[in-house]
Amino acid sequence: MKAKKLLALLSQFLDADSKTQQEEIKSIRTVLKELKNKERDLRAKLADKIDTDPEDAEALQLKLDVIYAQRRKGVMKVHALKRHLQTSENTETKSD
Amino acid sequence: MLRRFTLPLVLLFLAYVLWVGSEFMELALGVAFFIFGMICLEDGFKTFAGGALETLLQNSTNRLWKSLLLGFTSTTLMQSSTLVSLITISFVSSEMIALAGGIGIILGANIGTSTGAWLIAGLGLKVDIASYAMPMLVFGVLLLMQKSKIIKGVGNLVLGVGFLFFGIHFMKEGFTAFQLGFDLSTYSMTGVYGVLLFTLIGTLITFVMQSSHATLLIVIAALAVGQVSYENALALSIGASLGSAISAVIAGFAANLGGKRLAAAQVLFSLVTTLLAMLLINPLMQLVDWMSSYLGIGAEDYLLKLALFQTLFRVLGAVVFMPFISQVESFLIKVIRFVPKSIEQPIYIYPEVLETPSTVVAAVRKEVQHLFDNAFGLLASGLSLKRSTLESEESLSAAVKATRRIFPIDVENAYEEKIKSLHSEIIAFISEAQMRESTRAATEELYVLRQASRDIVSAVKGMKHLHNNLSRYGLSANLAVRDRYDQIRLQLARLLRELQVLLAEEPTSTTALALDSLRLSVQKASRTMTDELDEMIRYRRLTANIATSIMNDENYVTDIANNLISAVHALLTKEAQETAESFNLDDVEIQQLIDKEAGLPL
Repeated sequence: MKAKKLLALLSQFLDADSKTQQEEIKSIRTVLKELKNKERDLRAKLADKIDTDPEDAEALQLKLDVIYAQRRKGVMKVHALKRHLQTSENTETKSD
Repeated sequence: MLRRFTLPLVLLFLAYVLWVGSEFMELALGVAFFIFGMICLEDGFKTFAGGALETLLQNSTNRLWKSLLLGFTSTTLMQSSTLVSLITISFVSSEMIALAGGIGIILGANIGTSTGAWLIAGLGLKVDIASYAMPMLVFGVLLLMQKSKIIKGVGNLVLGVGFLFFGIHFMKEGFTAFQLGFDLSTYSMTGVYGVLLFTLIGTLITFVMQSSHATLLIVIAALAVGQVSYENALALSIGASLGSAISAVIAGFAANLGGKRLAAAQVLFSLVTTLLAMLLINPLMQLVDWMSSYLGIGAEDYLLKLALFQTLFRVLGAVVFMPFISQVESFLIKVIRFVPKSIEQPIYIYPEVLETPSTVVAAVRKEVQHLFDNAFGLLASGLSLKRSTLESEESLSAAVKATRRIFPIDVENAYEEKIKSLHSEIIAFISEAQMRESTRAATEELYVLRQASRDIVSAVKGMKHLHNNLSRYGLSANLAVRDRYDQIRLQLARLLRELQVLLAEEPTSTTALALDSLRLSVQKASRTMTDELDEMIRYRRLTANIATSIMNDENYVTDIANNLISAVHALLTKEAQETAESFNLDDVEIQQLIDKEAGLPL
């Protein structure tokens, strides 16, 4: 095994925490994307119902409010994780 | 399809028969009274289940000799083995005594009935139980009208015995046509054929007369006038034993599983006794002659000899049957396993699945989904909406508004058949799985699924209460009341539709997240309803009495909804739940959203 490859493996091993965090960010972004798509579908449905069925429209609006709150929560989580990741990277750079 | 028309066809046929042949009227009435009496007795005994009577009965039947003694004494006192058998069937049906104890009583009663033969032969005494029926019905109804549960129970018992007596009386009356012109001497026969024929005649007469004592009276009368020989008279009395078992068979129709098993035990015992008596008729006759000389019974005193013969063959039957009681009990439990088709059976959980923890979890998850599906149908009917309406894309508010009648469903019965049985199977299966080697993750998942099953059961139980008020006020002429119940129905119907759609999807994190909006809408609906009701009471648009009923029902709906949401959350896969955790709104966040919707300051 070449020295470069060995060093990369060692770095990966030592860097386990940040990797987990990156994976978490990735999975949250996937869910955010799914929620965004769902929000788009619901908005389209709402546009159809708003004049014909006010009760259904109200229920759809409620769903949209919840999705908005969930997305906001997800985005805040991503920001927090990113900040944490950046802080740990800065600490590592300084110690180097 | 065929089942659907069975009852109307039977009713039509019966109506035709009763119309054409009025002589069947009394017979049919007798059978109807008889079965109704059994139902009353069973209900009456159920009132005392768990009380002092149950303890007394259990203590009196926990040993074979005790059961035998109880059967013998009660039959001697009441002078009706039929009645003792019927009451015992009721006891076994209401699970107040075990099957083995019941069999012991039947054996004792069978011996006890021969005391009647001694009384008839010795004193010419005949106790006419039917004459007690009328006062019993009067007292029974009076007691039934009382508030106390115990007194009502006693009323049911008295009424039950009264109807049984009446039933027997009308059956006897109904069969009088068969007795007319029945000359036994024309059938006189000796040897094996004579025994066979007269045993059969004895069985038929007892079935017709519904009393082995009455048969004995006929036999004695026939013997006295020389219509039958002594040998034929003995065969008739053997048949009387078998004939009285037919009453038990009729009673078995009205009884539950335990009662059916006991009725079968009585038939089995009567068959054994009859067969033994028929086979050993000659040695028994010799034994009777020998014993008669010791007891001082004259050689020509056929009546007392007949009584002795009855006692001997009945004791013989009981002695032969006694050592096999536990075997007979296990046999009957094994053979008579009545499982009505309507009782829901599990589809996914069976012993082979228990092999690996992962298959157990997957199977239980599917079975809980099956339970949810049953609850879905039941709840839809409880809301007086068709399942197909909820499963379609039809407007639910239109369907609710268009409702013209509240479905008259028996939620309690449907719960027993479709939910409780399946829930019990799931719980039993999970317990069995937990006794085996398992992983921690599987154990945790099973715990969650068990809770989901309980949540579904709680939801259906909520519907039991809700349906009562829906039936009363759901279609109220007061529009304010009707509107509130329409809201309640619509809210639950929407939730059911949404939950079913979610369960049908491939579970993802967004599926788990969708439950948040359902939680929010449940809380919001509850708040809106409470505010509206407050306002209505304030402006006297509703009486406080009806408003509290609606409030209670609103609470039931909230509980049903929360239970269903929790159950569906548990049914989603663990992965879907874990990814959604970062996004799920907590109670405070949901409350903030409600406040925002209501325009309140955050």
